[in-house]
Amino acid sequence: MRNAIREWVEGHITVTVRGKRFERLINLALREGLHIWNIKRISGEHGQMDMLIRDYFRLRPLLRETGCRCHVLRRDGLPFWLIRMRLRFGFTIGVVLFIIGLYMLSGVVWNVEIVGNHRIPTEEVSRAAEKFGIKVGAWKFKLKEPLVLQQEIQGVLPDVSRVGVDIEGTRVVIEVVEKEKPEVKPEAGPRNLIAKKKAVIHSVLPEAGKSMVKVNQYVDKGQVLISGLIGSETSQQLVSAKGKVEGEVWYVSNVSVPLAQTVYELTGDKQDAYYLTVGQYALRLWPLRQDPYERYEQSEQRYQFSYDRFTFPIGFKRQIQQKAAGITRTLSEAEAIEAAKRFARNDVLKRAGADATIKDEKVLHVKRENGKVYLSIHYSVIEDITAEQPLVALPPAPLNETDQ
Amino acid sequence: MKRWSRRLRHLAAGVLDLPQDVVLEVPRITMIGHLQMYIENHRGVLHFSDKELRLLLTNGQLLVTGEQLVIRAILPEEVLLEGRIASVTFLEKT
Repeated sequence: MRNAIREWVEGHITVTVRGKRFERLINLALREGLHIWNIKRISGEHGQMDMLIRDYFRLRPLLRETGCRCHVLRRDGLPFWLIRMRLRFGFTIGVVLFIIGLYMLSGVVWNVEIVGNHRIPTEEVSRAAEKFGIKVGAWKFKLKEPLVLQQEIQGVLPDVSRVGVDIEGTRVVIEVVEKEKPEVKPEAGPRNLIAKKKAVIHSVLPEAGKSMVKVNQYVDKGQVLISGLIGSETSQQLVSAKGKVEGEVWYVSNVSVPLAQTVYELTGDKQDAYYLTVGQYALRLWPLRQDPYERYEQSEQRYQFSYDRFTFPIGFKRQIQQKAAGITRTLSEAEAIEAAKRFARNDVLKRAGADATIKDEKVLHVKRENGKVYLSIHYSVIEDITAEQPLVALPPAPLNETDQ
Repeated sequence: MKRWSRRLRHLAAGVLDLPQDVVLEVPRITMIGHLQMYIENHRGVLHFSDKELRLLLTNGQLLVTGEQLVIRAILPEEVLLEGRIASVTFLEKT
């Protein structure tokens, strides 16, 4: 029925009406379509009502008709505010300036944050950002779209795989994701590849340099496999020898395995204890007394409230002790040998290097003594046998001939 | 003629299940406790003071008495009355 905003915007007044035919006035006003509200009877001949300014002038003829007199009591609403503002000019200017100032200050970048860089210095990123106008004191509305800025900054920074620009109020957050660069191998100088072990050559795959050995040839430690010196005798050249030479290497592994072995197994019994944790201290709540098992495995579960990075210091801990019991097992000789071979294989592969393969395995000797089985096993293993040997630069060419 | 139309209206209200205030030109009054009263379908204000409001209806008058009565809003056919309402009386046209 009533619209408070409209009443305020159009301006409304409170009038007191003096006259005998107040009801008649109301009826007439309604018929004319005037907006009136808050009608009160103050005393016998005095009434009071609120109305829009616009309708006040239309009330005049009605007043004459009913013989009432009216008096404006109070004015309110936007039009009267404007008049008051005109009277208090300085104050109004102040308010307007304040609002404009606030608006302008909120349109300025006050803070540039650079996140996510480890190798690239922050200054470099901020210098790149400054080129496109992102700096403290810049106008926000002069900046381009964040998506465009991202691409432009990324174009300037070569070591960056992604840039994220986020404008959060007066703060600009530049998120940098650096490129993962592969480690650059230093260019190797002239060198030979030599054998690091005594071996029988199994395969030769030279990439650069001259291969000096053949398959099935026996090589000694330190023998040149791929030479870095290439070319005929008259025109020689030094290169960095590269390639892969695999050789068959022999190993002997001695292992001893005890026949009686104790294995600890969980029996399935367990007991729980509950703790209240405060910081790094723990206070047992339940049970009050607990006898630990002779041998046990212990684990714990922690319950703690946390939100984001913040962890509530008081928490709850459950400690579980699982009972373990030792079982003595006696291995048969065949089992012991099997276990010994397993150990020996691991041992040999550890000695031979990562990409070695066992070609042959031969038990040389088995001895049973003092409840243990002693084995020595012979392995032939195929592995990479190359090692690098840098070549010292040869003297200049003219002297070369006299040397030889 | 007038009686015929009245009978027809009563019939419509009964048969078609229409709200009576729509058909019979009687006021619809909504009251919120004794604090507020909303009257639709009135025909004008006859008397108003802070103790009494007398409204003209199609058939008779509506008399509302109370204390500190204020007409919060008024339209040609609606009145929103506030105050401490003591009684509501219908006066039939004689």
